[in-house]
Amino acid sequence: MSLFSFTLIFAMAALSLCLVMTGIRFAIGPTLPDRITAFDLFVANIIGIVAIYTELTGNQDFIDVAIILSLFGFLGSISFAYYLMKSAR
Amino acid sequence: MKTFIVHFLIAFLGSYVYFKYGDPLLPYNAVWAVMVSVFIMFLLWLTSPFYHRSYFHKLPRALSFVMFFLKELVVANLRVAYDILTPNYHMKPAVVAIPLSVTTDLEITLLANIITLTPGSLMIDISADRKFLYMHTLYVKDDDLELVKQHVKNGFERRLIQLTR
Amino acid sequence: MLEDINFLLIREIISSVLIIVGVMFMLISTIGLLRFPDFYIRMSAITKGATLGLGFILSGMGIYFNEPDMLLKVMLIIGFTFLTSPVAAHVIGRTAVRNKIPFWQPTNLEEFKEYLRKEHSTHRDHQRDNKHL
Repeated sequence: MSLFSFTLIFAMAALSLCLVMTGIRFAIGPTLPDRITAFDLFVANIIGIVAIYTELTGNQDFIDVAIILSLFGFLGSISFAYYLMKSAR
Repeated sequence: MKTFIVHFLIAFLGSYVYFKYGDPLLPYNAVWAVMVSVFIMFLLWLTSPFYHRSYFHKLPRALSFVMFFLKELVVANLRVAYDILTPNYHMKPAVVAIPLSVTTDLEITLLANIITLTPGSLMIDISADRKFLYMHTLYVKDDDLELVKQHVKNGFERRLIQLTR
Repeated sequence: MLEDINFLLIREIISSVLIIVGVMFMLISTIGLLRFPDFYIRMSAITKGATLGLGFILSGMGIYFNEPDMLLKVMLIIGFTFLTSPVAAHVIGRTAVRNKIPFWQPTNLEEFKEYLRKEHSTHRDHQRDNKHL
């Protein structure tokens, strides 16, 4: 195993740790907007993981997943926040 | 602004097509690709006084604005990172109302996006008569709200007004 | 002379450094998400750190693959992320203000009281929403 792939695997492990910690915030978050923030960070972490996996395998098709994910993560958080804003009384 | 977007698209697509379908004299890598697109933009910039006179003066200012913004971004990120990694909080959050001198929709949108993109400051809302902009900021020195306002107004807003008018 | 340089090794080193820096930014942001005391501080400090880290990781990947298609897609993702992240942060922050999420105790709210009073009064919501339609 070369040093380069070791670096990539280390980076993936660190990002997985990020996912776990974001999950903790998602579980204990006292309010609903906290959870939306955690969801935003989830999407960013997963885009990073997809990017590093693309580099690890060398298969260029996976990068399209990251494009779609960046589009849909934005849509999801915006629509959820908008729904919350409309239902606030 | 419109001229800049058109020129940027032409330069970007030009360098892309040159390296993808042309017969490039240079070996492809990121440095050469960026340099070719910058070269095309430089040529277009030299021709601009014939049809868009103010664009000729504005591009250097835009470059200095981008450099200033990147510097602010990195500095603010490092400050927040230092605050996260040390056990005590050094921050004094506050919500300040910044009086606006920009008026049009485009300027307000750009200013709000730039403010929100800098860590440690979050734009919450704009008042109904478009006079004030409510900003949540993290670092207020000695409870002096005027200092924060002056920092935003002299830093971002002045350069933005120079750019768009 | 030019053929002696191992370009693959140089690309791997640059890419590794960029990826490590990006992962560090993401890790710091996530620790901050767990540590900070208040929703607004978390919001304003965190999302941007994650965006910058994502930019570093993606540009490292684009430099490693070294092809026009790849660079185009990477630029697309970075531009889109930098464009949409402030918009999402702004919308979520305004939702939190409207839902009366409390501020941290030391926060200086002097200039914001007027706005909060208007925002939390009962009739305001309908009025303003209908004015925009």
